[in-house]
Amino acid sequence: MRANWRQTLLSYTFLAPALILLVVFTFYPLAYGSYLGFTEYGGARFAQGQPPRWVGLENFRTLWADDLFRTSLLNSVKYLLVVPALQLASLAVASLVNNSLPGMAFFRAAYYVPVVTSISLAAVMWEWVYNKDGTLNWVLGFLHLLPAGGAFGWLNNENTAFWAVMLVTFWRGFGYYMVLYLAGLQNIPSELEEAAVLDGASAWQRFWRITVPLMRPTILLCSLLSTIAALRVLEEVLVLTNGGPLNSTYTALMYVYFKAFQGFNFDYGLASAAGLVVAVVALALSVVNFRLFRDSSGEGG
Amino acid sequence: MKRSLTVLTLALGLSAAVSAQAQTTEITFWTWYLSPKFDGYIKDTIAAFEKANPTIKVKWFDKQASMVQDFVASVNLGNAPDVVNLNIDETAKAAQNGFLRPVDALTSPAVLKATYYPQSLKNFTVNGKVYAYPWYGSLNEGVLLYNPDLLRQAGVKAPRNMSEMLNMVKTIKDKTGAYAWVPALKDPGGASFLGYFFSDGLPIYNAQGKAAFNSPAHVALLQRYVDLFKGGYLPEDALRKEAFQLATELYPQNKVAMIVGGPQALNRIKDTNPALYAKTVVTAAPLGKAGVQTGTSMGLVIPVASKHPAEAARFAAFFSNNANQVAFAKIVPIIPTTSAAQNDPYFKKASTDPIAKATSLIGASGRLINPGFKTPGNSDDLYKNFSDNIESALLGKKTAKQALDDSVAYWNANMSK
Repeated sequence: MRANWRQTLLSYTFLAPALILLVVFTFYPLAYGSYLGFTEYGGARFAQGQPPRWVGLENFRTLWADDLFRTSLLNSVKYLLVVPALQLASLAVASLVNNSLPGMAFFRAAYYVPVVTSISLAAVMWEWVYNKDGTLNWVLGFLHLLPAGGAFGWLNNENTAFWAVMLVTFWRGFGYYMVLYLAGLQNIPSELEEAAVLDGASAWQRFWRITVPLMRPTILLCSLLSTIAALRVLEEVLVLTNGGPLNSTYTALMYVYFKAFQGFNFDYGLASAAGLVVAVVALALSVVNFRLFRDSSGEGG
Repeated sequence: MKRSLTVLTLALGLSAAVSAQAQTTEITFWTWYLSPKFDGYIKDTIAAFEKANPTIKVKWFDKQASMVQDFVASVNLGNAPDVVNLNIDETAKAAQNGFLRPVDALTSPAVLKATYYPQSLKNFTVNGKVYAYPWYGSLNEGVLLYNPDLLRQAGVKAPRNMSEMLNMVKTIKDKTGAYAWVPALKDPGGASFLGYFFSDGLPIYNAQGKAAFNSPAHVALLQRYVDLFKGGYLPEDALRKEAFQLATELYPQNKVAMIVGGPQALNRIKDTNPALYAKTVVTAAPLGKAGVQTGTSMGLVIPVASKHPAEAARFAAFFSNNANQVAFAKIVPIIPTTSAAQNDPYFKKASTDPIAKATSLIGASGRLINPGFKTPGNSDDLYKNFSDNIESALLGKKTAKQALDDSVAYWNANMSK
């Protein structure tokens, strides 16, 4: 009995540092942020040292009535279209670079470069691509896909800016998920592939019957991460378009960012409420992801 | 005996040092985007202050993009800086929200009036109280810089006012392929067209303090820009980028004929295209119908949360005094906000060098620095709405009238919040 008590104490002692960090940096901010969503707090009230004032659902009513918030939330949900494209492409390329052919290490590294490229550098580069006299218009013109005098600034048009920014997100995230998929692929026992080859299975059959089922936990993880990342997209939008033109690239996280950190008129209460709405959407989509990709064997999810 | 004397001397010396240290007050000073380029000037000025005020030590930090967030966080954490460099707009917002001490309670109003231009003090006055020691300024119109080859090719002469400027936009583009100039269509504060209205003598508010920038004259002025924009005569990137940044990118490539602005643009041109810099002609800026300049300035504010407001005030007054502002103007073409600067011989020198010429043209124009309108309460939301409406008009989603009507309605419904 005494030894058991000691063992329990020892376990908690080992757990304590991680638990303390979680409480301080995750649970407390989560709880306090959720509470702030139901309060009026910021600007003058903050400067004068007054505590948050409970306002119930008032912030959510304000959000519902705010055209800008509705547009931003819609844009964020629309931004999720990048998720399937990103997952399919990174899984396909991970399968290709999983082969041990000469020079493959170069490709693995090359695909990862955008992940570690700073967003300011990436923004300058992509501006060269998207400008009216940029690379994209030049290539399209060269291929006769653009009529003479038809060049336009891809980031200045409300119909193209959104997709142009999304492509940058795709470009930046692609290498990251490819590496995760590559790690997953390398965990698949080679005997299974070899047995399938002996049974006469084609490459396509091996991919769908062996690779995809065994990769489900990785697919779930990548899908969850990229869904949350798409809902939180901020940096590329800020530096490339600042939400414009006509708010066509203004995302929900931009709304939260500007409400919380803009000038001295900031409104933590409203920003927290908007953050809560985004979190609820992320949670709902996570449930969908779990349902779609859960491992029927009961392992890994 | 000798040993006892030594110990006594050491003890006395130590206690004197401790007591001197106990009397020393350390204040924290935050600047905005000035390091590393102006480290020498700032450190020298701080050293001069500390020499004249041996009981005050100044700890300097230069803040950049996160200045305001850092300020707000520092107030919350109880370690607010004592002197902070903010511009007119941010000072107004900070004062409206109760973050700042009125400086006319720390330095006598008579001294403030004797030191700074009346308009400079007015720029930092919120609800009848002055909230900053005016520091260096800049003019939006400032001077006109132009590429003489492009103007000659277009067959036009430098515009003397904004009507002439707007009239020659099509000619320059059609004959040279270069844009005439890059107007500020949108800026982070959303205030560009509010400045144009002021320059043309059109009011922003009515006598009751309500937004009133939707008269037929306001609409006609906006329509002028909308027509030029739709015709492709203004760079469309100006909707996305700061006009000054875009202009200084395009001018050295011969894609823009003129820059209206401060002489600081010349520094960039000198770096990127020295041959064009040598050719560039500097002259008086074309002004709107009201014949006034618009501009902005920095100020030095004292937060309510400062623990040493008296020492902070002494330092801020010293840092922004005439001698120190003129010394700063000799390093970089800023405009001093001290009234004595207008008589300084430095600004009266004749030169053929574009930067020196621009400096002498505007260096003593601190009295003209005026944003043209008071920062409204809840300004971030209002500027965003204004900016969105201007963009809608330029992109043809709303008529100029509808855009201004919508914005005025929004301002009047949300201004006092």
